[in-house]
Amino acid sequence: MSTTEDKHHTKQQSQPEIDEVTNDQILEGHEFDGIRELDNQLPPWLKYLFYASIVFAASYLTLVFVFEDDRVIQAKEYQKEMAAYIEEEEAVDEEEQAAPVVRTQEEIMASGEATFSKICSVCHGKFGEGLVGPNFTDEYWIHGGSREDMHNVIVTGVIEKGMISYKNLLSERQIQDVITYIKSLQGSNPPNQKAPEGEKYDPEAEQGTPS
Amino acid sequence: MELQKFTYDNRITRNFAVATIVWGVVGMLVGLLVALQIFIPEMNFSLEYTTFGRTRPVHTNAVIFAFVGNAIFTAVYYSMPRLLKTSMYSRLLGKIHFWGWQLIIVAGAITLLMGYTSGKEYAELEWPIDIAITLVWVIFGINMFGTILQRRVSHIYVAIWFYIATWVTVAVLHVVNSIEIPYSLMKSYPVYAGIQDALVQWWYGHNAVAFFLTTPFLGLMYYFVPKAANRPIYSYKLSIVHFWSLIFIYIWAGPHHLLYSSLPDWLQALGTTFSIMLIAPSWGGMINGLLTLRGAWDKVRRDPVLKMFVVGITAYGMATFEGPMMSLKTVNAISHFTDWTVGHVHIGALGWNGMLTFGMLYWLVPRLYNTKLYSVKLANAHFWISTLAIIFYAVPLYIGGITQALMWKEFTPEGYLAYPNFLETVTQLIPMYATRAFGGFLYVVGMLMLVFNVIKTAKQGSLVKVEEAEAPALHPQPAMKTPSESWHGFLERKPIRFLIFATIAILIGGVFEIIPTYLINSNVPIISSVQPYTPLELQGRDIYVREGCYNCHSQMIRPFRSETERYGEYSKAGEFIYDHPFQFGSKRTGPDLAREGVKTGPLYKPNAWHYNHFMDPQKMNEGSIMPKYPWLAEKDIDLKSTAPKIRAMKRLGVPYPDNYEHKANDDLLEQAEGIAQNLREAGIETESTKEIIALIAYMQRLGTDIMKPQVEEEEE
Repeated sequence: MSTTEDKHHTKQQSQPEIDEVTNDQILEGHEFDGIRELDNQLPPWLKYLFYASIVFAASYLTLVFVFEDDRVIQAKEYQKEMAAYIEEEEAVDEEEQAAPVVRTQEEIMASGEATFSKICSVCHGKFGEGLVGPNFTDEYWIHGGSREDMHNVIVTGVIEKGMISYKNLLSERQIQDVITYIKSLQGSNPPNQKAPEGEKYDPEAEQGTPS
Repeated sequence: MELQKFTYDNRITRNFAVATIVWGVVGMLVGLLVALQIFIPEMNFSLEYTTFGRTRPVHTNAVIFAFVGNAIFTAVYYSMPRLLKTSMYSRLLGKIHFWGWQLIIVAGAITLLMGYTSGKEYAELEWPIDIAITLVWVIFGINMFGTILQRRVSHIYVAIWFYIATWVTVAVLHVVNSIEIPYSLMKSYPVYAGIQDALVQWWYGHNAVAFFLTTPFLGLMYYFVPKAANRPIYSYKLSIVHFWSLIFIYIWAGPHHLLYSSLPDWLQALGTTFSIMLIAPSWGGMINGLLTLRGAWDKVRRDPVLKMFVVGITAYGMATFEGPMMSLKTVNAISHFTDWTVGHVHIGALGWNGMLTFGMLYWLVPRLYNTKLYSVKLANAHFWISTLAIIFYAVPLYIGGITQALMWKEFTPEGYLAYPNFLETVTQLIPMYATRAFGGFLYVVGMLMLVFNVIKTAKQGSLVKVEEAEAPALHPQPAMKTPSESWHGFLERKPIRFLIFATIAILIGGVFEIIPTYLINSNVPIISSVQPYTPLELQGRDIYVREGCYNCHSQMIRPFRSETERYGEYSKAGEFIYDHPFQFGSKRTGPDLAREGVKTGPLYKPNAWHYNHFMDPQKMNEGSIMPKYPWLAEKDIDLKSTAPKIRAMKRLGVPYPDNYEHKANDDLLEQAEGIAQNLREAGIETESTKEIIALIAYMQRLGTDIMKPQVEEEEE
């Protein structure tokens, strides 16, 4: 026992012991509760992976600390993303002005319904019957029932009551489409209707036509 | 040299093993409960004690500190005396350690369900328990180093290197992250705020994974894998390299939990790069584990113990590759705040920690009871059902996480969010959540198989309470390094020096990251309009923390167009300087709330909406998975706590006026009355002293400070 202790971890090697199964060299003196250790080198690919990761890290840190590169500094990344979006938006606008798209009534209604079920239904009910927000299916309107009035509410919101402004969330076309859809709900008489609120709106009285 | 006789105490190992199993069952059952609660809101039972925000921390704490913690102690108390050829230093300290730890777990579970939480993930336990943890950990340390110093072998084996690194790092992490100012017998505020609190917390959180779930289990692996396979360790050299590189690099990687947050870019960059550099050191451990099985693959096919080890180590390799990938900002932009992260950690937890623990228990229990395993067949069945469980658990979460992230980020051709209603992206995930819960169920079934098998094994044998052993005394070693000795060989026979070097290695990263964040002001640019919370908002914020809202809601808008469109202006470091603790959150099961109170923002809701929503989320949003919080309308705000809270905040540097604590309740009641009045106008009758009023006040304050100057300008 004492001889192995002496040789423990020494560099001098006499007749190394070989592991029969793998033919690898067993480290002399390395025995802990029967567990022995082999004298294998690190797998080369693992070493190179480690070096590569260090090179990556050094390059990345240089980009951040020295160059403050706009691909790695997040405020700059954000500016870039927003600038790209604004540019794209302008291009789309120009395109649309050059060739306005003609759509069928079905397409308009489908688009309006999609917006309604995503956004409006949360407060105005699945069928426009009213929930936190007022009922859309009766003839009464708090802020007026013309297309212009509705457009105004959607764009500016009614903050005190929890109706936010959708100016930045919906496109002008989506707003127009959803107004068309909401108008179509009148008289649909769904269950669980909220009591009428506001004043009765009579489209005949006003000569308001869709803009 | 004469042989000395000594004994190994198996009773303490057995006790820790039993605790591992008991807490494993409990932790996993709570896990199954939270997996159901997340898609079936009725499973929260409308009771404060059984609601997700409180049960989820019970699950995470139970599986980490109770199940895995006791598994670590089982491994240490069994392997260390045998590797060092000595008894444990003190039986009494061992007993205090055991019972102290179990008491902490019970106290932890009870207080968490009662709502006492620090609000910092995986460090939720409050200050009295934090102190108890420190004491028990010190006792564990004394017992460990006492044992090492009385050893009969000259050199310490690699498993013990990992135990040493575990002990010192967990001590440092726990103490630094838990510095808090108590304002009552059970509650405190952390001394850090906002970004600094977040940095310290994720330095802790990440390294809890590293030094509680990883390094002690590498130690466990280095003992039990070669033992069970009866094969030598593949490479001693590799064990040196991967040990030191792992513990040195790991500590730096914490900021990868805060990528694209308002943490300074330089810290985020350190988080990313050190995570990438962690791949090879982590894989070093995997390779040394798997290649130790060369020549034993035939045995692996038959032996459930080795099979579990193989799957466990492979899961470790997968998770330690995936983790660094998720630390790349491009990947993190998608994975963060989604279920991807939950899937990732469960590859580690169910695979690495679970499978290694099961393997260890199937190997150990028959030896403790001097018998054979009752049923190898059943253990094999456990192996297969657990492996299947991991797949059923993780795959749906990967699919769900990526799906949700893509939905959050999708724009219509017109340039608007394709899914502006957050709920749409949630209902999409429900089938995934159901499949995940099924995976969790399978894992619990497997665990119950283990319970049965272990009980049967113990019954057919009898506990070998004490094992006799003998070894020659350790003759005096040269004090200095001998010329023929390698420097590491020398270090291995100088455990205190080893401890000091390990401590230095783990301190460097933390010191480099945390200290500049305090000293250099540019890291948190001041926003003059940011003011302390009003007393009512502060009470509301503490309710937010108590109910564990951060478990599902983030307060951190990242600088992406898809987030600023959905939530409003992205979050700035200066907005959080009075947030003790920070509440950035790490998962968006519900929408981000950082700008919830901004009236011109896309998320604004009136007081009445909040009231109704807390009472019955499903009434406001059909398909919502949020639990109901009816008790908030019944319980009164704890007015007596206002003054001590303001005092504690003032001690932390929050600029309330002098003697403000004495009139804080007047301001509180006035603001509360305003909200109650507003609710009455909307047809909701409530008293102004109810907790829900405080929480609404906090909701309406969130994210508004930064908007103040702009609002003033517009009015002018």
